[in-house]
This record gives sequence, structure tokens and C-alpha cells, in this order.
Amino acid sequence: MNDFALVSKNLWRKPVRTILLIISITIAFLILSLMLSFNSSLSNVNTLPTRMVTLSKINFTESLPIAHYDRIARTEGVRAATHMNWFGGYYQDPARGFLPVFAVDPETYFQVYAEDLGIPAAERDAFFRERTAMLVAAPVAERWGWRVGQRIPINSNIFTNGTTGSSTWEFTLVGTIPTPPGSSQSGSVLIHYDYFNETITFGRDRIGWVPFLTTSAEMNDSVANAIDQRFANSQDETSTQDEATFNESFAAQLGNIGLVITLVVSAAFIAILLIVGTTMALAVRERTREVGVMKTLGFSSGRVLRMVLAESLLLSFLGAAVGLGLAALILTVLASSGGGGGPAISFAPIVIAWAALIALALGLVTGLPPALQAYRMRIVDAFARR
Amino acid sequence: MASLLDQIGAVTSLNLRSIPQRGAMSVASVVAVALTIAVLLFFLALANGLRSTVEGSGSEDVAIAIREGSNAELNSVVTRDQLAILATGPNVAQRDGVPVVSGELLVIVDGVKRSSGTNANMPFRGIGPEGLALRRSVNITQGRMFSPGTNEIVVGAGLLREFSGFEFGQTIRIRGGEWQVVGVFEAPGMVFESELWADIAVTQSLFNRPNVYQTMRIQLTSPAAVQAYRTWAEGDTRLNGLEILSERDYYARQASQSTQGFMAIAWILGIMMAIGALAGALNTMYSSVAARASEIATLRIIGFSGWAAFFGTMVEALALSALGGVLGVIIAFVAFNGRTTSTLGSGFTQLVFKFDLSPSIIATAIVVAIIIGLFGGLLPGIRAARQRPQLELASG
Repeated sequence: MNDFALVSKNLWRKPVRTILLIISITIAFLILSLMLSFNSSLSNVNTLPTRMVTLSKINFTESLPIAHYDRIARTEGVRAATHMNWFGGYYQDPARGFLPVFAVDPETYFQVYAEDLGIPAAERDAFFRERTAMLVAAPVAERWGWRVGQRIPINSNIFTNGTTGSSTWEFTLVGTIPTPPGSSQSGSVLIHYDYFNETITFGRDRIGWVPFLTTSAEMNDSVANAIDQRFANSQDETSTQDEATFNESFAAQLGNIGLVITLVVSAAFIAILLIVGTTMALAVRERTREVGVMKTLGFSSGRVLRMVLAESLLLSFLGAAVGLGLAALILTVLASSGGGGGPAISFAPIVIAWAALIALALGLVTGLPPALQAYRMRIVDAFARR
Repeated sequence: MASLLDQIGAVTSLNLRSIPQRGAMSVASVVAVALTIAVLLFFLALANGLRSTVEGSGSEDVAIAIREGSNAELNSVVTRDQLAILATGPNVAQRDGVPVVSGELLVIVDGVKRSSGTNANMPFRGIGPEGLALRRSVNITQGRMFSPGTNEIVVGAGLLREFSGFEFGQTIRIRGGEWQVVGVFEAPGMVFESELWADIAVTQSLFNRPNVYQTMRIQLTSPAAVQAYRTWAEGDTRLNGLEILSERDYYARQASQSTQGFMAIAWILGIMMAIGALAGALNTMYSSVAARASEIATLRIIGFSGWAAFFGTMVEALALSALGGVLGVIIAFVAFNGRTTSTLGSGFTQLVFKFDLSPSIIATAIVVAIIIGLFGGLLPGIRAARQRPQLELASG
């Protein structure tokens, strides 16, 4: 019988206890991985160091005149610029959640977000060509059951369609955008700015914000200064930031999410640490005589220590694995039923690294005290104790 | 029957008095329950504080007109003509012969959150001359109200506590225009305390929204008048597309929208942690039963019933989890009850509110703790009751 077989026999000698411990550990890792995945989907949208955005200085909900776009695009150090408008979209029933519909300038949009828009040329050209065309992130199309070629009525909770007098516009779905984790396009619904601008009844010739690429990241600060100074003291002052900073400040509006996540995950792990730690100590204490027998048979103290540690590590990693598996399952189910409003929460690879690290720490911290006790135990005492 | 009760009492006190022997595991299970309850209370108190602030903001006798289907003021539109018609409705309160109504426009400006230094969305509300009269529980506590037709603003005390950039006496530049902060107002426990107020006409002109209104607030003579007012408005085709409801109903609707997410998080996390704590409690109780196997066996042989063993275990489990529950409530009171915080409200702007542990939330948390105890004591209790005395003593 090798040591590992002995370790797992020890672990499963009281199956109810072990299963209960695994459930506790599983829960802690489930909470950890759900929260980390949520957090990273909020902030870890792939950003380019050279991608920046110019918005109204008052607030991003205020619009800018279209003339700003041309001036920004011509600023020295700007490689490509595009502009976007928030449409306030929803499909059929506003109660089922909003659709992140953006009115964009198609060709420049594809320059600025090229890395996330690797779609077939036929679909791209169809989007460029047809004024009423719409491109949709794949999960969004899936959620609402839209197929390429369909004409889809989209409502706006802000604008009125001047041609019909209603709040509805019809768009033809010409393609879907695949969205691997972290894609900046994960919830996008893209329509033509020109079509939007000609049909709205108010707010014409104004744009929401201007994303652009700089020629190099070192240019970012000087480009931002040049743009913001260009519009200083005008009716429409601007604020230019790099993409990562903008995303962070946006997520920060919800509250100090990082702190809340740290507190909740810590609470879960302190509870589990105490439960597993005290139970492991009890389990080893119960085996005092056996440790004595093993040492009598010639097991070295180091080997006994390693076996106890191996047991607690095995327990910890079993719970972590089940917890991660459950989290991945839950997130997959959520992704297929949700989609649309905001970025989809997907299982972040970073979670696995964190979980492995924490499982290692949990196994060591809970296993070390009883392992040391077994290590120091003298054979005489082991048999004397009951 | 009395003898069974005596037995239960004897075994229970035996159990409870022997808890210190199993000290470490008992403490672990108490702390696990306490942390579970603290996490549950954190999100419930957050949701409750948010809800009571939003719900408490509406008056019953003020009607609000908003575009049908707009879930927030931000994307609503009410025309100037509609405004004039709305002021002529039945039972509109008058002050010096002028109807107490206020056409309003809400725009968003940036403030800086004090705790993090990041930008955040501040609601900037343009209100009509009667806007303050409409909101009776609002008091100017520093400085004065803005003068109509000027670039003056008053700022909510809640906003000032959490965000910087709008201090009393300061001059603020927005869109090339300068605004002077001339007053601070308090509206305890209401959303308005998170807002900036200015004259509607000046707001429209400086934000380049000429003649744009989003909502109209109408002071009626009594809460009962809202129904009649709505019926009147529905009968006028010029008011088509507008929804009329009492301000209280409007904010109640907002409240449920804003708090749904936090309630869901509270219960999802709470239930997950409760399962983890339950597993810990079961372990502790199984160990307790195992440790007392020979005691229980002895008691059974001298005539104690299985029920006594069952209840003894049950009471021990309940005592531990109730203790954990109380500890969790204490943690909640010390750590966050009454603290001020802010988050994005349904209007896409920051809303300042306080964590609020209401008695019903505390009761809920204690019930959750007791449920953990019940389940944690049930199976180990059954095992204790079913132990076969001869076997236990023989092996002991």
C-alpha cells in the first residue's frame, strides 16, 4: 500500500464528515469564483493602450456637436477616430432589459475596434452598404432568437422616429459578432449613425462620444491635452481619457465593488478555515494510537507529517475543484439565459490561478497544526493517551 | 409526560454544559453562522436603506406627469404646451393665486466621489419657482434658496457628504457658464438630498435644451385628488402619451427596480453561505454525538428515552446557531449599520443613502440562523436517539 492510498483511506474513513467538509470548501470556492468572474467581467474588457475616448466634460450622457469629431480626427497623434451615440434601445418590452444599441459610423468604427471585429468580409460589407443594417454580438442574437436576414424592430426610450412618428426603427440583421471573453463587443448592437441622425426628431448632428486610436501610447497624454485644450471655454468642453481609465471610473460608480468582494470572500473563507481546521485537528487526534503504531512500524516523523498535510491538501483541492466546476456550470447556464444587458459574466481564467493558490494556502493552514502534532508525537505518549 | 420533560431537561443541560469540552469546533460553527448572518445582513441592510430612501421621497398629494414607458426622468419628455394644460387640472393647489406646479429637467453632471476620487454622475435638477413649495420636507440649512433667473444652485447635504466639487460658496464652471452655490438643503432620507437644484429656465439655456421639460410635478389639494386628476388628464387628447401617478407610487416603482439586484445578491450569497455553515454545524454536532456516545448509551440503559437524546442534541445545535446569529447581528450593527454610502440609482445617477437594519431584517436573519441550527441538529439528533446502548458500551 503506497502512501497516497493510505492518505485517501484516512480521508474517507468517516465519509459523512469528509463530504460535509467538501461541501463547506466547495461553497467558499464557488463564492470566490463567482465574485471574481463578476469583477473581471466588469473591468477586464480587453483594452488597447492606444485607444482613448473623448466625452463631454460635463458628463458622458451629454452630447457633443459632430464638428468635434472632425477636429479630433485631425489632431496630431490620432491614427483613427470614430463616433458613437447611445440609442436607448429595447426590444418589444422595456421590462425585459435594455439593449446596448450604438449608432456608429461603420467604416471608422471597424478601424478603431478592428481587433474585436474579425467577422466575414461579406457580413462586414453588407453592414457598410445597407443603411438600415444592424450587426449584433452573437450572444445577443442568440438570446432574442434573431437570425441573419431578419428585419427586427428596435425601440428607443429616448428618440422618436420622424418618418413614422413612433419610437420604433426597423433594422436588417446582416451578421453577428463573435465575442470571446473580454471582447469589447460583448453586448453590442451596431446601427448606422447616418440613418439614425436623419430619422430622429431632436438631437440631430450631435454625437455621444469619440473613441480613437493614437499612433503610440506615449502620445496619449499630449493628444488628450491637445484635444481638451482645443475645446476649452467653448460651449462643449471635452474630457479625454484612455479606455482603461474610463472603464474603471464607470465601474466605480456602482460602489466599491472590489472592497465588497474582498469582504464577502474573506468572510466565507474565515468560516471555512475554522470549520476545516478544527475538524482536521479532531480527525488527527482521533488517530493518535494509529500514529503511534505507524511510528512503531518505522514510519519517519517527516513521512507522518507529509501524510497529514497531503490529506488536508487533498481535501482542500477536492473542494476547490468541485467549487470551480459548479461555478463554471452556473455561469454557462446564466450566459445562455441572460445576455444583452451589459457584459456577459464568463468564467475568468484568472479565477483558476487564484483558486489554486488559495486551495494550497487553505490546505497548509488547516493541515499544518495537526501535522506538526503528529510529527512531534512520541510513541510512548501516543499509546498512553486515550 | 413530565418524566420525559425531566429527561430532556437533564440531557439538554448535560449537552450544553459539555460544550466547552468541544470548544474549538463549537466556536468554529458559531463563527461560521455569525459570518453568514453578517453577509446576509450587509446586503439586506443595503437594499433596505436604498428602498426606504427612494420610497420615502414621494408625497401622496403630489402628482407627477412623465412620458409613458419612460422608466426614469432622464428619458422622459413633457412639452411646454402640455405643461400649461396640466396646470389647469382639477384640485391643483394654489399659492397667492398661482398653481403650485413645477416643470423640471434633470441633467447629469460629474462630481468626484470623496472616498475613491473617481468621477460619478450627479443629478442636476432644474425646478420651477414652486419647486421648493412642492417639497415640504426640504429645508435650507445653510445659505439661501437660489433666486429665480440667476446662475445660482443649491446642493443637497447628502451629496455634499459623499461627493466633492459643489461646496457651499464655490463657483462651478459648466459648459462655459458659471454657477454659484448659494445654499445647502436637507431632506433626510429622501433622494432629493443627493441632488443639485437650479432654476429651470437657466438650466435649459445653459445646458442647451431650450424649452425641454422631462416631468411636471403638480401639488394637489389632497391625496384623494390624484385619482380625479388622472381621470381628467386621460380624457384630454392633448395629454396623450403622458402617464400621471402620485409621486409616492412613482418612487415606489423606482425603489423596486433599484433594490431587486441587491435583494437577489443577498439571498444567493446568504443561502450559499448558509449551506457552508450548515455543513460545519452538522460536523460539529456529529462529533458531539460521537464524543458522548458512551454517556448517551449509559443514559439509555438507566431508562432515558431516545427522545431525550434527540432533544439534547437539537437544543445544543440551536443554541450554537442562535449564538452565531446574535453575533452576526452584533457584527452588522458595529460594522455598517447607519453608515452612509452611495450607488447608481435607477435614474443613472448617484444616490446617497444609509445602511438600514430594520427589526424585520434582524428577525429574518435570526430565523435563518435558527433554520441552520434545526437542520444541523436534526440528523445528528436522530443518530443520537438511535444509538444501540449495548454496542456503544461494548466498543467503548
